[in-house]
Amino acid sequence: MHCELSMITASAQLCLLVCLTLTAGLTLGLGSNQDVEFTFLLPAGSAECFYQTTARNDSMEVEYQVIAGSSLAVGFVLISPSGYQLVSDHRSSEGIHTVEPTEDGDYRLCFDNSFSKLSEKMVFFEVIINSQSGTGGGQEEWADIAMTESMVEYKLDDIRASIDSVHRHLEKSRQVQAVLRAFEARDRYLLEDNLWRVSFWSCLNLFVMLTVAVTQVYMLRRFFDTKRVRT
Amino acid sequence: MMLSVPAAGVLLLLAWIHPGDGLYFHIGETEKKCFIEEIPDETMVIGKYRTQLWDKQTSSFLPSTPGLGMHVEIKDPDTKIILSRQYGSDGRFTFTSHTPGEHQICLHSNSTKMALFAGGKLRVHLDIQVGEHTNNYPEIAAKDKLTELQLRVRQLLDQVEQIQKEQNYQRYREERFRMTSESTNQRVLWWSIAQTLILIVTGIWQMKHLKSFFEAKKLV
Repeated sequence: MHCELSMITASAQLCLLVCLTLTAGLTLGLGSNQDVEFTFLLPAGSAECFYQTTARNDSMEVEYQVIAGSSLAVGFVLISPSGYQLVSDHRSSEGIHTVEPTEDGDYRLCFDNSFSKLSEKMVFFEVIINSQSGTGGGQEEWADIAMTESMVEYKLDDIRASIDSVHRHLEKSRQVQAVLRAFEARDRYLLEDNLWRVSFWSCLNLFVMLTVAVTQVYMLRRFFDTKRVRT
Repeated sequence: MMLSVPAAGVLLLLAWIHPGDGLYFHIGETEKKCFIEEIPDETMVIGKYRTQLWDKQTSSFLPSTPGLGMHVEIKDPDTKIILSRQYGSDGRFTFTSHTPGEHQICLHSNSTKMALFAGGKLRVHLDIQVGEHTNNYPEIAAKDKLTELQLRVRQLLDQVEQIQKEQNYQRYREERFRMTSESTNQRVLWWSIAQTLILIVTGIWQMKHLKSFFEAKKLV
């Protein structure tokens, strides 16, 4: 009888182990709001493809931006799991596309730099998946692993202090954002001034060059004319 | 209760290296794929990858053999190598930045057996987490014995701290950009003036030289 008991316990433990592993695997695999972002180097004359797995009736948002490279442009295609080309951007420097609802399978994102023979491009892209199915992701599991809320052992003062801290940090963030916005505006005006200055001085340059060329030719001809007049 | 310890072990391992069914890409035998992460200093980055090999018999991707690994190389903004290690077919690498800037994470397979790749390519599932996403909240909850509300507030505090760090880094980047812009501005101005002056001087010199040349040759 003792052997029977231990055998039952062992099989129950095995079942528990399988259940736990499955749950952990599923919850780790399923993300409610998955956000993948990568910045990579795309060599000249080549194309790179990335694949994203989605479930049915999810929403997928793809955003990309070319950060560096001579013309700051790449070709972009988005192909659905059934092979249908959803998006085709030819030589654009940025783009944002939403696919809703998604099919079940792997979507293919391809960046194409084959039109450029010399310059490699640095491309940033971001894929955001909003899953209709699935639980709240990682945060739902915390009810199990965190300690149970027994009574209200922490005072409201603690919560208030934490919220105050968050509030102060956010205020600081907003102030820094305002400062950065002012700096960006100043830089923008400086660059626009630069543009005006480059244009102006280039025109002046061209004018001076042409004047000098015409003057030279005219004076040379005058030398020969003077000679003829003298003799 | 004997099996609970290996169960916990399996769970931990799964959480540790499983990057989820996220983004994947294909990599050739000698191909090197590089990703760039621009991060502020003292920021932790955790990368997880999982590889699959094309199996001709079943015409699908199967988990690759243990012998097939990936070599991970990480360079800091000064192109100094801060991590250069070999990992197995499933791996997890982590590093903390000490200087702000663009860090480069490069992956290439270390396979020497050409036969393994004969079918085509290796499929790599990659997941890179930066900053407060690297925090293991279940572990923090267990260590500090936090309730769920406290854990959520802790997460909020970490997120806000990361936002502030990123903004400080952005301020530093903006200052560098401003210095570059102003120096370009100066350079454009002075080079244009110099170019114009050189052109005028060259023109006058040419005329004088030609005049004296013609006079010497008794043409004028």
